[in-house]
Amino acid sequence: MFHLLALALILIAVASTAIPFSSPARAAAKGKLVLAWHAGLTSRWLDPQEHDGTATPDNFLTAIHDALIKNQGAQLYDHPALAEHFTIASDSKTATFTLRKGIKFHNGDPVTPQDVKFTYENYRGAKADVFKKKTERVEIVDDRTVRFVFKEPFLDFPILFGTANVAGPGWVVPEKYYKQVGADAFKQKPIGAGPYKLVRHEPGVKIELEAFDGYYRPVHVKQFVMIAVPEAATRVAMLERGEADLIYFVPGELINKVGKLPGVMLAPVLSGSWWLEFPGFQDPKSPFRDRRVREAVSLAIDRRAINQAEAGGLGKPTGNWINNDVQYAIEWPEFEKNVERAKHLMREAGFPNGFDVDWITPVPPFYSRAERVIAQLREIGIRARLQSMERGIFLQRLSSGLKDWPGTQIIFQGSRIAGSWSFWYEGYFKCGGFNSRDRICVKDLDGKFDQYERSINPAERKKLAEEIQRGILENYYLVPVFRHAFINAIGPRVAAQKWQDVFPTITTGYAYPWEDLKVKDQ
Amino acid sequence: MPQFIIRRVLYSLVTLCILSATIFLVVRFTGDPVALMAEASARPEDLDRIRQQWGLDRSWPVQYVTFMQNAFKGELGKSFNYRLPVSELYFQRLPNSLTLGLAATLISLVIGVPAGIISAVKVNSWWDNVAKGVALLGLSIPGFWLGLVLILVFSVWLRWLPTSGAGDWRHVVMPALALGWYFAASMLRLTRSSMLEVLGSEYIKLARLKGLPDVVVIAMHAFKNALIPVFTLAGVNMVVMVNAAVIIEVIFAWPGIGRLLYEGIFQRDFPLVQGVVIMAGFMIVGINLVVDILYAFIDPRIRLTR
Repeated sequence: MFHLLALALILIAVASTAIPFSSPARAAAKGKLVLAWHAGLTSRWLDPQEHDGTATPDNFLTAIHDALIKNQGAQLYDHPALAEHFTIASDSKTATFTLRKGIKFHNGDPVTPQDVKFTYENYRGAKADVFKKKTERVEIVDDRTVRFVFKEPFLDFPILFGTANVAGPGWVVPEKYYKQVGADAFKQKPIGAGPYKLVRHEPGVKIELEAFDGYYRPVHVKQFVMIAVPEAATRVAMLERGEADLIYFVPGELINKVGKLPGVMLAPVLSGSWWLEFPGFQDPKSPFRDRRVREAVSLAIDRRAINQAEAGGLGKPTGNWINNDVQYAIEWPEFEKNVERAKHLMREAGFPNGFDVDWITPVPPFYSRAERVIAQLREIGIRARLQSMERGIFLQRLSSGLKDWPGTQIIFQGSRIAGSWSFWYEGYFKCGGFNSRDRICVKDLDGKFDQYERSINPAERKKLAEEIQRGILENYYLVPVFRHAFINAIGPRVAAQKWQDVFPTITTGYAYPWEDLKVKDQ
Repeated sequence: MPQFIIRRVLYSLVTLCILSATIFLVVRFTGDPVALMAEASARPEDLDRIRQQWGLDRSWPVQYVTFMQNAFKGELGKSFNYRLPVSELYFQRLPNSLTLGLAATLISLVIGVPAGIISAVKVNSWWDNVAKGVALLGLSIPGFWLGLVLILVFSVWLRWLPTSGAGDWRHVVMPALALGWYFAASMLRLTRSSMLEVLGSEYIKLARLKGLPDVVVIAMHAFKNALIPVFTLAGVNMVVMVNAAVIIEVIFAWPGIGRLLYEGIFQRDFPLVQGVVIMAGFMIVGINLVVDILYAFIDPRIRLTR
């Protein structure tokens, strides 16, 4: 009897490993989900090979494509996806990934290490130069294993490789198909290994997807449609009328209305951080050269009022200007509001009657929040005017440096960057950074940052990262204001107890993993 | 006549060249598109790579000459964002824009022309005042506001029509009404003034003196002549509606050329903006050319005037 039982157990075990993962009976995908997207739909977002490094393409990549590892739920970058498991060598000079068994692209071709190698070597999007510079070769170890060999320790590899809204070389494309149709045609009709396959694509207008039954996880909704609806009021009307199940970006003035719609749930996903920057504060003529003045600015800001007015109170007044959902970001308490102390500091700094600021310029089109800052600074005698500019001009001026920000100015910056704290520093603080250029140059912190970049010791890097962030905050080189909420709404057809069921991934404002979304029985 | 046609064609070509140079320069004065195409932590070498990829590293004259050479071959470049030829994108959206433009033109004619005629025939009456009020409202109510009100009433409250997008006839009703409303007002005003001018002319007085009934005078004699400028304007309006219904197409998520232009501007997609503007200019210049030639054909005084 015992032998028979043992034999049966062995047979079951053998059978369970032999049966491909997709075979076990799964509930068939059903229903339809419509997402009203808040901007245009740009075809280049459908090709991970040309990832632009912004937080937008991952909404689409996570539906059509899949990566070896990725950010999902609370995991910042190391959720195993197409890779069953992976190991990074202790010297950080190799990374080895083992693919899941039986995984396929939407056209039925298997996902192979060769596809992974092609994807990586052909990648030409954001941070491509970093990957190329640091990688010696990609080795195919066996039919499921691929190894990346680096020229030097590459500590940031997993975080760069595995964060959907940073770079795209880990998002595997089918080599054969990609070469056959070419990069431009691929963007029109992408084939991936993600939970949804493309059915129809109207560039800039609509993307129609269907559940891919060969995906390694169950996909619950059969049809998934993303429609570009740039006007917020129209998106809300679509939700109200049942034409959309999910809408992104409910602006401040519509939050109350949407919150009262029957069966509709608001999803206030914490998003980018907002902070004040003082371009050229090192100039002896700048009033912001004095730390006390910068601190006074911080004390004059009513962060809770701004959060209430700008995000219906659904954002978060924060201490650090760097989001806390990235590697090595430090927690920092909310800065206090104390107008009396701010006035005292202004007197101490030699500005009892305040001073004039030529312009306060917010990231377009968030002008109203800058108006609030202007009103609050007036209380301590800082008189400023609002400068509004077209987004492209604003970005151009940021990248052209201090010469485009003459006189006394404040920039009301806002950004969301995933992955690592260092991407924030590199982009917005470092002397010579893409957005900071020569507006902020703090030599000792930049020196520490260079040390951080050179270091191959994780503990040392963490220590340096924390020191640098503390240095910025303690000296008020930047004045953090609040973390904006990217407010979305969920319609009554979506099965969810709470909004986090639909937006579980902390590193994004979007609703992925898409395969987990469910619609109610109708 | 041939000389007149040749002269007009040359004028049209010069106009298109000036338009192409203007739009080429204007989009470039707005700044570097690479700033919108690169990630926040991009390095100068990343930016250079993108510039090189799109030919933006070359001098403006070289870029312009290349652009014009391609335009003469019917190639308007490739969109930065869609990675498709601009002409392909344009012609994909054109049927939708033509549908919307035609429907809006019809609405503007159906509202504007009869109201203009009644207003002119019953000048300074209660009818005239109502028509003038309608014209004033039509010209002063912003299209985006009217669009949102229509969505609220007909989609959200009454649930008669879909909020947005393109599909069957029900999708066209609200955007066409919101777009046509403004043009109906201008039609009304033009019809009214044109009718008043014709009604005051000698041949109309003669027709009345001959004892013809008012209906016959208005319908057979005045109306036909008053319609010439009205239909000329309707043609030009339609070209504008087809190519530049930006706000209405955005409000109603209508996949037309106006929205394509909006996205191009917003993303600083130079080839797309240039292409759409050139095509719109080509249409307007073409229609004006045809109208000029037809006028000259009908009225010899025009072709003899230098």
